[in-house]
Amino acid sequence: MSFLGEVRLEEEFGPFAAFQEALGFVPNLLYAQTLLPRVIEAQAKLESAVRSQGGAISRVHKERILLSIAADRHDTYCVALESKVLSLLGMSEGQINDLLNDYHRADLPLADLALLQFCLKLSRYAPSMCSEDIEALRACGFEDELILEAVVLTALAVYRCTLSVGLGPEADFGPRKLAPTRIARPRDVALHIPSPGIHEAARNKGPYVPAPYLSSKTFGPFAIVQKSHGFIPNFFRAQTLRPDLLEAELEAVDRILLPEDVLTRVQKECILLAVSAANLNSYCVAMHCNLLRGLGMPSEEGDQIAVDHHESNLSESDKALLDFAVKLGTRVSEFSRKDVVKLQTLGFTEEQILECAVVTALNNFANTLQMGLGIQPDFEPPPDFENKVHLSGGAQPPIQAGGVVHLVDTLQDTEAGFVAQAQSGKLEAFEELARHHGQLIYRTLTAILGNPADAQDAMQDTLLSVYKHIDGFQGRSKFSTWLVSIARNTAFQRLRRGKHFESLDEAVCNEEQDFRPRQVKAWQDNPEELYSKSEMRQLVERGILALPANYRVVVMLRDIQQLSTDEVARQLGLSVPAVKTRLLRGRLMLREWLSPHFMTSVKGIAQ
Amino acid sequence: MISCEEFLAEFGDYLENQISPEVRQELELHVSQCRACHVLYDSSRKTVKLVTESSSFELPESVSEPIIDRVMARLRTGRS
Repeated sequence: MSFLGEVRLEEEFGPFAAFQEALGFVPNLLYAQTLLPRVIEAQAKLESAVRSQGGAISRVHKERILLSIAADRHDTYCVALESKVLSLLGMSEGQINDLLNDYHRADLPLADLALLQFCLKLSRYAPSMCSEDIEALRACGFEDELILEAVVLTALAVYRCTLSVGLGPEADFGPRKLAPTRIARPRDVALHIPSPGIHEAARNKGPYVPAPYLSSKTFGPFAIVQKSHGFIPNFFRAQTLRPDLLEAELEAVDRILLPEDVLTRVQKECILLAVSAANLNSYCVAMHCNLLRGLGMPSEEGDQIAVDHHESNLSESDKALLDFAVKLGTRVSEFSRKDVVKLQTLGFTEEQILECAVVTALNNFANTLQMGLGIQPDFEPPPDFENKVHLSGGAQPPIQAGGVVHLVDTLQDTEAGFVAQAQSGKLEAFEELARHHGQLIYRTLTAILGNPADAQDAMQDTLLSVYKHIDGFQGRSKFSTWLVSIARNTAFQRLRRGKHFESLDEAVCNEEQDFRPRQVKAWQDNPEELYSKSEMRQLVERGILALPANYRVVVMLRDIQQLSTDEVARQLGLSVPAVKTRLLRGRLMLREWLSPHFMTSVKGIAQ
Repeated sequence: MISCEEFLAEFGDYLENQISPEVRQELELHVSQCRACHVLYDSSRKTVKLVTESSSFELPESVSEPIIDRVMARLRTGRS
């Protein structure tokens, strides 16, 4: 028996039949998940897609890679399982033992050896993957589709090993002897570990494998992602060379993450965030921070979970759930049945613990895949998390080049100094901050109130409120983000007092509907030459004030104040996709409004 | 070639210049073939450029300084 209860499923339960056919038996790892049949379906989808005969890597070589990764991770359950599978495929005991003891002795062709080493490095040192690793495979004559398949295969191996540790299934077959000395010998893996200090801009940071365009209109699974996420993350876009694998992954995600019958969606996103953070995976951290914001979690809370969930406002039991997941996801050698029992004594059900282990496994699958393909971020990760990665000497450097990070740090330190002084009552420091951020406050007020005169009026109240509450600023978000929230509150209070109250929180009208641009007349070539600078400014200001408040705020902060999309999302407490949608609508409305002044038939006064 | 609907689905990221080379290629091909989308793209790009370069809603010092002075005066008297 495994750590958790098991129930009998009907003989004809589809996934079991599939394993029976592919392997000749159903591994105990699957029986250990029978409390939640949908997660077995998820794993079966992944396995059958990766194992499919149509793939670029031969079946035997795939199983050989799975075995080597299991041995490298000291996963005795998976080693016994894969050894059996290989022997059923006709591999001799001697060959299997060679693989287990030292794959250099297994007489592999050079290209196969290179591929195996690539997979081992990805499994063990994911953050140090780089484009040179991919180039080395290409030099062996491997096609991009095969490289993508190898990355997904490795991710699957990591998924299984994480699960086997978390669920503790009984061995299917007798144990194998592992040679401990073989583990982590540097020559196995240290092909291209980039040295710290290397100039980042000079390195090709990915994506390593080209990805042809796939539209959500023709590729069904993308339509589902579009609906569940509001956009197609680069994570999925980067794998379009193999729609079959992509489809299986999306089905797995659908079965593991979306149902809310066991753990809630928020709990699962927190697990993904905390374990990705422990794996120093900036891409996934940024992704899950954003998804959590979309689920209604304040951005500071998500950022805090990324840095250290113990300091967050989560309940004690949810923190214990994350402790469990982080240990399972990153420190397998310390994990034991005791960790399962601990969650049980805290009141978690066996189904919940099972789902937590599966989500952790899926997370490690995704972390591995992202690093193996060098998938580029959709969003910026929280700055505090990036600093932590940087300080911890993490192999994945922050996105900006070193010099820029340094400069930003210095500026933020200076500001932090002013804030601290203002908090201790030094008025000169407060005055400096008010001057520095006046423009941002004014524009925020104008956007919400829809009227510059009212905004000037509200400036004074806002600044007084900032001073009154400045002790409440704890430095968990950027100071400017906090200022915007005060300005918004002040503006809302004013609107509530006044007559024409235009709610910003009201669901954006027709956000689901596609915005249909009406104006199709071409614009002149150099529109900026048609009017004087001050006329142009008046036109733009009138156009912006004519926008509905929801769009006005986003366009104001992004295009006028020129903050990044990510910053706007943080300041307004929205997800990045929501900001993008509003920004595009706002810009298109503005375009309609401005069109009559810039069409080819118009004669500006400058002409 | 992709349809106008597919073009519009990527349009926001295209304007923000946040797309992969492969997607960009598809979109550029579409824009070169479809007049309506070409006009939409061209005028939207110009809109964003005009808006970002307009220095709209700049608060003149002649307005902001008296406001800050009034606030500081209130804070100083409030404290003493």
